[in-house]
Order: sequence, then C-alpha cells, then structure tokens
Amino acid sequence: MRLTIQMLISHGRVARKMGLGPESRINMLRNILTGLVRHERIETTRGRADEVRFYAEKLIDYAKKGDTDEKAMKMANFWLTEKDLIPKLFKVLAPRFETQPKAYTRMARIPNRENLDKAAMAVLEYKGNPFPPLQTAKRDNDLTLINQLLKGYREQRAQQAAAKVEA
Amino acid sequence: MACRTVCQLLQRRLASSAASVRLSAAEERGRRSAVFSREQARQRSLYPRTEKIEVTLQIPGLQGTLLVMNKGLSTPHSCARHLTEWYVTSSALALVDGKPWSLHQPLTQSCSLSLLAFKDTDPLLVNQAYWRSCAALLGQVLQDAFKEDFSVELLRLPEVLVTSGAFCCDVVLDPQLDAWNPSEESLRSLTRGAQQLIHRDLPWEPLEVAPPVALEVFSHSSDTHLRCVFIHVYGTHTHSCLTSYLSLRCGDHVLLSGGPLVARTGLCSQYEVTAIHRLGEGKWGLHRRAQGLSLPLQQQAHHTVWRKLRSRAEKLVEVPTGSTNEAISDTLTPPSAPEQTPPQQ
Repeated sequence: MRLTIQMLISHGRVARKMGLGPESRINMLRNILTGLVRHERIETTRGRADEVRFYAEKLIDYAKKGDTDEKAMKMANFWLTEKDLIPKLFKVLAPRFETQPKAYTRMARIPNRENLDKAAMAVLEYKGNPFPPLQTAKRDNDLTLINQLLKGYREQRAQQAAAKVEA
Repeated sequence: MACRTVCQLLQRRLASSAASVRLSAAEERGRRSAVFSREQARQRSLYPRTEKIEVTLQIPGLQGTLLVMNKGLSTPHSCARHLTEWYVTSSALALVDGKPWSLHQPLTQSCSLSLLAFKDTDPLLVNQAYWRSCAALLGQVLQDAFKEDFSVELLRLPEVLVTSGAFCCDVVLDPQLDAWNPSEESLRSLTRGAQQLIHRDLPWEPLEVAPPVALEVFSHSSDTHLRCVFIHVYGTHTHSCLTSYLSLRCGDHVLLSGGPLVARTGLCSQYEVTAIHRLGEGKWGLHRRAQGLSLPLQQQAHHTVWRKLRSRAEKLVEVPTGSTNEAISDTLTPPSAPEQTPPQQ
C-alpha cells in the first residue's frame, strides 16, 4: 500500500494500541480484567481502564447466561487467568446484576501518578462492591431552576404524546 | 382594620379625582421614586445611634460564626461581604430566622442568617423569588417600552409555578393599541430592553411600607392606577389584610410585590420575552399577558435546550384567578354594601 503521511496521522481513529501488538493488548486487558474480578475495584491508567470497561461489561453479560452455557464457560475460562475466580463470576457477580440491563461498572478519574511518567489514572469498579463509595462528578440536584423547567417540559411532552395516542 | 381604613381612603380618593392634572409617565415615576427615597430615609433615621446586633451564620461550613453588625443599617449583603466574594456574587436570597428576606433589606435585630444560592439542595424559595423578579423586570420593560402618548398599566404579577414554563405579567395597554399584535421584531426589541436593564446590574431595593404610604406612592389622578395597585397586591395575597406591604425600587421604577425578590438584575443571564397573549376584555380594557423565560447566571442552558424551553414558554400559561376577583370587588363596592369582615389580627 502507499506509504503516505496520512498513515502516520491518527485523526478519527478510535481503536487504541496497547503494548506490543493486538495479542499483547488482549493479554494485558485479560490481566487487568482478572484483577478487577478479584478485587472489584482497581486503579490503572485512564486508557486501560476505559478499554477494560467494555470487556468487563461483556463478561457480565456472558456470565448472566449461567455456568451451564458452553459459550459463557469458554469466555470465562479465556478471560480469567486465575481459575478460582470463575465460580465467583457466576455465583456472585452475575446474580448481583440480574436486575440491571447494562452499566455494571463505574470509572472515576483520579490525580496523575506520582512517578516520572505522570500518567493519568482512573479507578474502575464493579457497582455494588463492599467498599465506601467513590466520588464521581455530581449532577445538579433535581430542584434547581433549569431542572424544574425541563421537568415541566418533559411532562408536557408526555401529556401531548398520551393525548395523541388516545386520538 | 388597616384594610378598612385603606378602603375608605380609596373611596374618598375615587370621589374627588375629578379635575387633577395627569402627570406624564416619566414625571409620575420620578414622583414615586422621590416618595420612596423619602420613606427610605425616614426609616433609616429611626436608628440615629449605631447599635450593634449579633448575626449568627447558618451556612454549611461556617455554622455558628458570629458577625457583629449595625442595627437598621446592615443587610445580608453586607454580611456576605464579610465572607468571600463567592457569597456576594452567588447569593440570591437570605433566610433570616427561617423567613425569606431580601438581600438588601436592613436587619433590625439579632438573628440567624443563611444565604441561599441557586445550586443549593433546596432552592425552591430562590426559584420562586427569581421568577417573581423576572416578572417584575418584564413589567418594568413594558412600562418603558411604549411612547409617552400610550399608557401602559401594570395589572398584576401573578404567582406562577416554575414548572409551568414561563413567568407572566398582566398589563392593559392604551385603547389605541387594541388592534396591535406584537411581531417577532417587537418581542426582540423588548428582550433587548430587558438585557439593557440586566447589563446595568441594578439592585432591587426593598422597603416595608405602611398602607397610607403605599397609597401615597401609588396615588394618581387616574382611577385605574389605584385599582391596579390593589389588584397588584391583592392579586398576590389572598384575603389577607396586611399591616405592611413590600415595595421595591429598581432604577426609578417602584412596584409592590407579594414576596421578596432576588438581589440584583445582574443575576439573570439568559432573558427573553417570548409572547404577549390577549386575555379578552376585562374591567379596565383589553387584558394582555406578557410572558417570558429566563435563567440565572449560574444555570445557563445550552442553546438547544434553551430553544426547546423557549418554544414551550410561547404558549399561554394558565394562572388560577379565583380569590383575587372577590378581593377586588370588595374594595371597589361603596361602604353601604355589606362588607366582608376582615380577618382578626
């Protein structure tokens, strides 16, 4: 293929490169995910935490299928390098998230690492863990002026939609 | 009791309003402002010697801090100035001993003070005060907007819930303008007038006035103004004979209000006059309801959100009338008719 300068510029490319190559990336993510399942709250660099989030949630979706499912067991076996965590996944984490459809993890950014690299760090956790709560960005309380106006707006839209359905 | 004397004064004034010269609107405003200043000076002179009062702060993080302030002179605004600049710019209303209090109203005794902002856990009082202030600003803009030949009479500033989507101001325009319907350009120029007032950052100076003074401030040779004043007040208080009315001045406009307003016009940032609807013929001519939408400096909306809220604010907002009409008819019937017994005070 043509060796253009465009190849070196990464505008718009969303896939992250980690480690030595794609296989190395998957291995790194596997290790981080195993740590997450074991400890339920871990601290890594921001990019890695963001990458692992997707796999962590997909793993829970697979675990919800139950440990009798072939595919679910194969996935759990591949992703968890420490095999004593497979029963924990199916018996503790899957039942915890039975009622939730998605959003099983929470990521909170923390100050940069103290080392020379000053890497941007983040904390990744499964919701419902036994530790004290993390402080994430606070949303404005529901009674503020703009939220009350938006609430009135939403109610009016719902009323109009209901009236249309009846008519 | 006070209500009956005021009503009797009203009857006498209505009877003798025959041949007085009508002042122009600007002169009238100047006169009202002068009476307001006189009353303000008189109330300040009630405390010739500076006496000290102790104000305990009930602010999260500063619980129990004691401030020693001057009696009759210090306001919650001056208490905020003793703290940090953030308190001065962000506080909209104060709670003195649990009662809502305007930021520029002097404190008269030792009390507990808390400063309320828009982002508190419970900003209901602040939201209502802000809505009232925006309606007052709208009334002021409408009074200023038209030329001297056309009279604009403010009927009332109804208490509307924030969730209804817009604040309203009921007015009656000159009969020559009965056929006029506001175009988009005129609404935009009204908005511009409001933005100019906001830019000037005028404080709303509150004053508790006794009924005779209120009557003097709003006395005018034309009958309709007197009626308007009491609709103004009775429109906001249902069946209560007050011993004092809360009067506020912004720039040179004086108005009566049903509750405290926020500190200054500069607290509003996004402000638009959205519509002027016709309400139909009433006792004083064609009633119109002007509506607007506004958000404070600390709660600005993205333009997409603002557009959606604005399209909602253009629709007519229904205001529950009910008791206000009865109160009006009570004040205007002659004394011979059976009067309602005022509530015991």
